Formats: sequence, structure tokens, C-alpha cells
Amino acid sequence: MANRHDLDRRSFLTGRVVAPVVHISSAVVSAFPARCAELVERLSALPGTEVHRVENGKIVIVMEAGSSGELGSRLAGIALMDGVLSANMVFEQIDSLDDRGAET
Amino acid sequence: MTLSRREMLKAQAAGIAALAANMSGPAEAQPVTGGVDALQIKWSKAPCRFCGTGCGVMVGVKEGKVIATHGDMKAEVNRGLNCVKGYFLSKIMYGEDRLTQPLLRKKNGVYAKDGEFTPVSWDEAFDTMAAKAKQVLKDKGPTALGMFGSGQWTIWEGYTATKLMRAGFRSNNLDPNARHCMASAAYAFMRTFGMDEPMGCYDDFEHADAFVLWGSNMAEMHPILWTRVADRRLGHPHVKVAVLSTFTNRSADLADIPIVFKPGTDLAILNYIANHIITTGRVNQDFVGKHTSFVKGATEIGYGLRPDDPRELKAKKAADPGATTPIDFAAYAAFVKDYTLDKVSALTGVEPGFLEQLAELYADPKRKVVSFWTMGFNQHVRGVWANQLVYNLHLLTGKISEPGNSPFSLTGQPSACGTAREVGTFAHRLPADMTVVNPEHRKHAEEIWRVPAGIIPEKPGYHAVEQDRMLKDGKLNFYWIQVNNNLQAAPNSTGETYPGYRNPENFIVVSDAYPTVTAMAADLILPAAMWVEKEGGYGNAERRTHFWHQLVKAPGEARSDLWQMMEFSKRFTTDETWPAAILDANPNYRGKTLFEVLFKNGHVDRFGLSEIDPGYENAESREFGFYVQKGLFEEYASFGRGHGHDLAPFDTYHEVRGLRWPVVNGKETLWRFREGLDPYVKPGAGVEFYGNKDGRARIIAVPYEPPAESPDEDYDLWLVTGRVLEHWHSGSMTMRVPELYKAFPGARCFMNPEDARKRGLNQGAEIRVISRRGEMRTRIETRGRNRMPPGVVFVPWFDASQLINKTTLDATDPISKQTDFKKCAVKIVPVSA
Repeated sequence: MANRHDLDRRSFLTGRVVAPVVHISSAVVSAFPARCAELVERLSALPGTEVHRVENGKIVIVMEAGSSGELGSRLAGIALMDGVLSANMVFEQIDSLDDRGAET
Repeated sequence: MTLSRREMLKAQAAGIAALAANMSGPAEAQPVTGGVDALQIKWSKAPCRFCGTGCGVMVGVKEGKVIATHGDMKAEVNRGLNCVKGYFLSKIMYGEDRLTQPLLRKKNGVYAKDGEFTPVSWDEAFDTMAAKAKQVLKDKGPTALGMFGSGQWTIWEGYTATKLMRAGFRSNNLDPNARHCMASAAYAFMRTFGMDEPMGCYDDFEHADAFVLWGSNMAEMHPILWTRVADRRLGHPHVKVAVLSTFTNRSADLADIPIVFKPGTDLAILNYIANHIITTGRVNQDFVGKHTSFVKGATEIGYGLRPDDPRELKAKKAADPGATTPIDFAAYAAFVKDYTLDKVSALTGVEPGFLEQLAELYADPKRKVVSFWTMGFNQHVRGVWANQLVYNLHLLTGKISEPGNSPFSLTGQPSACGTAREVGTFAHRLPADMTVVNPEHRKHAEEIWRVPAGIIPEKPGYHAVEQDRMLKDGKLNFYWIQVNNNLQAAPNSTGETYPGYRNPENFIVVSDAYPTVTAMAADLILPAAMWVEKEGGYGNAERRTHFWHQLVKAPGEARSDLWQMMEFSKRFTTDETWPAAILDANPNYRGKTLFEVLFKNGHVDRFGLSEIDPGYENAESREFGFYVQKGLFEEYASFGRGHGHDLAPFDTYHEVRGLRWPVVNGKETLWRFREGLDPYVKPGAGVEFYGNKDGRARIIAVPYEPPAESPDEDYDLWLVTGRVLEHWHSGSMTMRVPELYKAFPGARCFMNPEDARKRGLNQGAEIRVISRRGEMRTRIETRGRNRMPPGVVFVPWFDASQLINKTTLDATDPISKQTDFKKCAVKIVPVSA
């Protein structure tokens, strides 16, 4: 299993064993309902960003990235998009990339 | 078909977001095993470190380091949401240039004002500092000793500061940076209701039919509260939002009534609305008759400039700006009659139609109104008036102290309320709204503090701006700054602040986590522990007190401000700081250290280490041998219990997500001053403003008066300073988060495109912003988030490499002594010129 995390001698000795991870985070974006359709398109066009629900001026998105920094930067950009009233992060999961194989 | 693990995680994240957003439908919020849990993170609650909203976050610690934070689903304030700044909380403690050891300016191995910063031990730091303080006390007495603290101090840090300064060193020269931020709001609360802080709470948002923003850009500065406002507006089509500002900001996107007015003329708009309420017969006569009284305020009160400034010499009532005289309703109605729609429209530059729509929000008895304000009102040469004039509107209509009807002063710092105001760290204040000028209050404080009668000095100390002036003038010589970046924050910093720090007569100590511009201008830098590196308590804008545990160790030799003050107090004996006459009368205090009389006095030290939650560290308590935070908090809480400021027992706050005081019989109070909602209101009173002896709130008659400095031929533009979404205040934390730095790396001068074109300036052009005080280089921004009207420019102050406060004017509200950072005159020229 050791090579699963590309464990080398150096990282073993320094204790820096970092498995490649993916950050998955959800956010809620508020906008006037009339602007939601257009925003859904723009949000969906962002890298690693999916729109999951839209209801009465609220858009639930789920974003994926290699680091929380990337996710936060993306959120800052969304918060300042034309037509967006507010954008806030909700829930974040960090998952190992190695589990990708668990699909059916 | 089963979902892949990744799809399950995404569905879970979306489900929790939908729950947080109050969406209907199936909640797919069941935790998926693995993920963060598998990474062995320990999660604990804490309030956010940034603004005054007081969001709850869950802080994830792994191997002694904070590695993640997320919005706390159990926190009522934010219900799981986390704004952009809050999202990066986990990174604020790990900037590369974190201070980890004391640094003293030295030359040839000894302290020298013109020396280089040299690492020293805590002992050498405190020895040098104590020697300086003792020399100053001996030469000039306690009024030459001062401290500048913060609305970011924890409750017990502020309490320790006020006790150490007033009772230990006998100096009232203690002021918080909240003076720059909330002083006008606090004074107006006292003058109107006889008690500080809002009567309502955030629950008002979900009951309101209208929101009015008076000089507050909530969309960027209070994103979580703004989300709650937006939810209410979007979910209930009858709800209206009015946004008043001196330029169009992102909050205006939600506005049904967008109003851009000429700087300073908000006073006239407020009086026009009062006039409208009266002339259209919509005064709530029953409420006004039973629960209010009327006064007229002194006028021509000056601008809080140095006393020899021509503007002060001309001001007739500069000596007693807070004076009021009783009047009646008829006199008040006659006073506001001048503020007609036509006149006010002409003065303010606002369309009459918008003014009428705004006035109707308040006048319509069927509409519940929440008014919000922050720095636009408070940083105003007539800030106390502006605050009081909005109370007038809520009082005339009886729209107050009930769900949805709420004049709501927002705050900018996490404990502007909980520490700076409630604990009493202002130059004139004691805990629980008491003041040093009142002999009864001093006596009460001396009893609770267990110090001899006569120890607390009666004269208020120097306020923030005056401290800078007195440092420059050589009257304040020993100065300790904690948890703030005043050289970046203070007005007219080249003219009034920096000279005082570098005045050879003065010794300046700065406790901070990072080498801010203030720290770099000091003589001694003390490395500070921050946020969850210590056990803490904050109080947010809605009277919510909330606690956190120490979750990680501070780096290197960094120590909390609490430890620094308590440890420093060991170096002084009462004989060195208290008058001989008092010691003669109280010989049992003789020869004791300040640490012994103030902290290890058989009272503050009465809770043992065994009471600390075994799951958490507590560096200060381990070192001093008792549960320091609990002892200080319980003593502090005894000031307010039974007096309308009741706090719950210490341990309760570690369990809950905060409670709004007064907490009576275990129950928090959401709305004060109304029977049935507030246990302090006498049965049958209905409404009782019990902070005032007559139970009535004051409605005040005060006019529009112009700002201290307006544009003219030489300096032809209004300068407004402020903030941006990505950065918090002086940026000492957020500029060290790489992603936030990249998102907004440097200040810009937002300018009207036509104004720029007239000066031959293109987007991005390098310019000089020049005032009568100083100048700053930056670049022009004619696009972007803020749309400026002609004649007004906006520059944020977060950027340490572009100090806009070199140009601002140190004019203050003469009553609150809070600086007006929103109105001074500048000119703009290209750098090439």
C-alpha cells in the first residue's frame, strides 16, 4: 500500500506523507430570481463548479479544486460577479484522490 | 446504480448548503464516512476573528495546527455560512513573518531609540519597559502613561487592561481603537437610552418589511448579515431596501430605493423624514407621550481639531458640545419644519421622489423597519447626532424594541461591543456603562476590584486622537499598543501620529502578531498570541457573548496580551504606583506587587486549574497557577448582574453558541425595553427605557451642520476612505493570506470616469492623492465595484504600502471624539506632473 501515496524515503523520514487530495465545497449564491438563469450559466462555466439547486434567488453550487485556496479565490470572484448579491461557503470535504476507483 | 464516492460527497455538500440556505426538499445531509474524519481533525467551536457580525465557525486542528475552518451549522448568526474572509481564517496565524520573539531597538548592546530591532528575552523586554514606565511615573506622574487597546481584545484582556491602567497605574489614558469605529454609536446610545448597545438583535431581519442602510456597505463588509437581508428581500416581495451612501457600492444592487447624497447631508435627510412623519400625521402619539421626552442639542460645536485651529476658535459651543436643554414636541416639530422636501433635495442632491419613498418607509405605520449603519454614520463630525437622528425616527413612530422594528448599529470588530464598550476600555468608562467621572461608579468599581477608596482617578484620560497629539507634544511618554495598527488607522498620520511615536522623549511598545507599520515604528515589539492560540471571549453587535478554548500553541515565544499585562504587573509594587496617603490609610496593601493586589488577590485567583476543560490547553492559567480567564470573567460579570447587563456563568459560554445579554434565569434577551420580552421592564409599563431614570428615551433637535473641510478650488474632491470585501481593516491578517492578497493586492483610488477624463487620467494611471496634510501614490480605478459620483473619490485603507491616512484630517465628532474618515478635501494629479 505504501506506493499508493508515492511514499519515498525522504517523505518517510521527514514525516511529510501527503496524499493527493481533492477539496469539495458547497456554497450558496444569492441573486435576484430574474438574474438566476444567466448566473447559472456563468457559474457552470467556471472550472470545477456545478450548480446543484436553484430556488427563489438562491443557487447552491459545489466546487472542486486541489486546494482550499483555489476554492476561496473562486468564491471571492463569484461574490463580486455582476448580479450576485452574496456568495458564502458552506461545507467542505477533503477527500483522497485515490478513492476514485470506487465507482460502479 | 450507486453513486460514486465523489458524487456522494458532492451531493452531501450540496444538501448541507441547501439546508443552510433554508431551501425546502429532501436534505441529503447525512455524513459520508471517510473524508475529513479520516484525516483525524479535532473540531472545536470559535467565533470568527474578523468583523462584529460574530459568526460561529468550526475550527479543525490536526497535529497542533489549525488546518481548516467552516461555518458552524449550530451558530444562529450564520447558520453554517462562511464569507470569503471567514473561509480563510485557518491561514491568518501562519503568515511567514509571524513575530516569535520580543524585539528591542538597541545600539551597542543597550536600548536606543535610534537603534536596530534586536531579539531579546521576555525578561530583558519587561525590565527595559518597566524601567521606562517607572521613570515616566516618577518624572511626570500617571497622566504621562497611556495604553491603546482594541475591540479585538478578548473580554478578559480588555478587563485586565482597564483594571491595570486605572487601579494599578492610576491612569485613565486607556482608549480602544473602537474610538475610531464605534464611539459615536456608543455616545448616542447613552444620550438617547441611558444604556449602550442595540435593543434588538439579528432576529429582527426575518421580521422586517423594510431595511434602510445609512452609510453601510453591508454587501462587502458584513456579507453574512447581508445574505440574511437579501433572503428576506428575495423571499418576500413586499419588502423594500433603501441604500444611502455617498457613492454607489455593491449594496446598492439590492436597493429598491438607491440614494447617493452629498457628503454630510444625511443629517438633513434625517430631519426631513421626521418633518414628513409629523406633517403627514403619522406620529405615534401614544408611544411618544408615554415613552419619550424632547431635548435641543448645543449647536456650532466645532470639529474636535486642536483647540488653536481657527475652526475651533470660531465654534461657539466647542467647550461643551454635548449640552442639551429640554423642549417639548411643539418646539421639536417647529425645529424640523425647516427641512422641507425641496430644500433638502437641493442640499443633498437627491431626487425628491426617492426622498419621499424613503420617508414613507418610516412613516407608514404598517411597515416594520430596520435601520442599519456603520462607519458612514459613526465616522462623521456629527456622528452622535446622526445616530440620534435615526433614533428620532424610530421613536416618533414607536418602531423600536419589537421584532422587525429596530434601529441597529452594526460593528466592525469582533468585540467592539463585548470588550471595548461593555468592559469599559474607553478613557472615561468603567464596566457596565459606568464612568470615571461619577464618584458612585468609582466607589463601586474600587469595591469590586478590592482596591482602596480613591485609587481610580476621576478625570477622563486622553482619547485616541488626543493620545497621538499628546505623544507628539511630549505629554504622554510611555505608550503601550495592543491588537491594533494605529499608525495605519489613525487620521493625519504623518502630521500627528508618526511624530509622537518617534518623539525621543517617548517609549513606544507594540504587542502584535505581525510586523505592522505600527510595530515597525515602535521601540519595543512584543510577539502576541492570536485568536485560538489562547482561550477567549468576544461580544458581537447583537449583545451576544461567545467563548472559545485555546486550540493550538502560539509560535515561538509569542504570548497572549493577557499574559503580557499580568506578567508586566509583577514588576511594580504599590509603593511605586499609589500615593503615600492612600497606602498610609491602607497599610495592608503596602509593598505588594500590582499582580498581587489586582490578580492574585484571593478573588480573581479563586478558580483552580482543575476547572479547566481537560480537553484543551490554557497557557496563561498553567503559568499563573489558577484559571485566569474564569476568575477575571466572573469578577467582571459581577459589575452587570442585577443591573441589566447580566451575563451567564462562565462555563455556560463554553457550551453554547453565545448568549445575548441580559441573561436572566438562564434565558437570553432578544429585545430589550419591551414588556414580555425583557425581564427588566416593570409589569404594566409596556415599554420602558430603564437606562434613563424617567424610563423615557430622548428625541433630540439638532440641525444639519457642514463638515470640517469641504472641497474648494485648491483641493477639489471629497475623499472617502473605507474597506473592501477581501480585506479586514488594516489588512495585517488578510494581506498575509496569499489568496486574499492576490484577490485585491493593492489599494486603488475609485473615481468617476468623467472626473478622470477631465484630468487626462486613464484607467490604471498612476496618480498622487494630495491633501493639506500629506499625499499618497496609487492608481486610478474608474470601473470595478464602486461607482463614484462626480467630485467624490474612494480609497480603501487596508494597504500598508499605500497609507491613505497620511492625507486624512484629524477632525472628530466633538462629542464622541471619533474621527471623520469619510470627508476631507483632496486633489488628484498624475504622477508625471
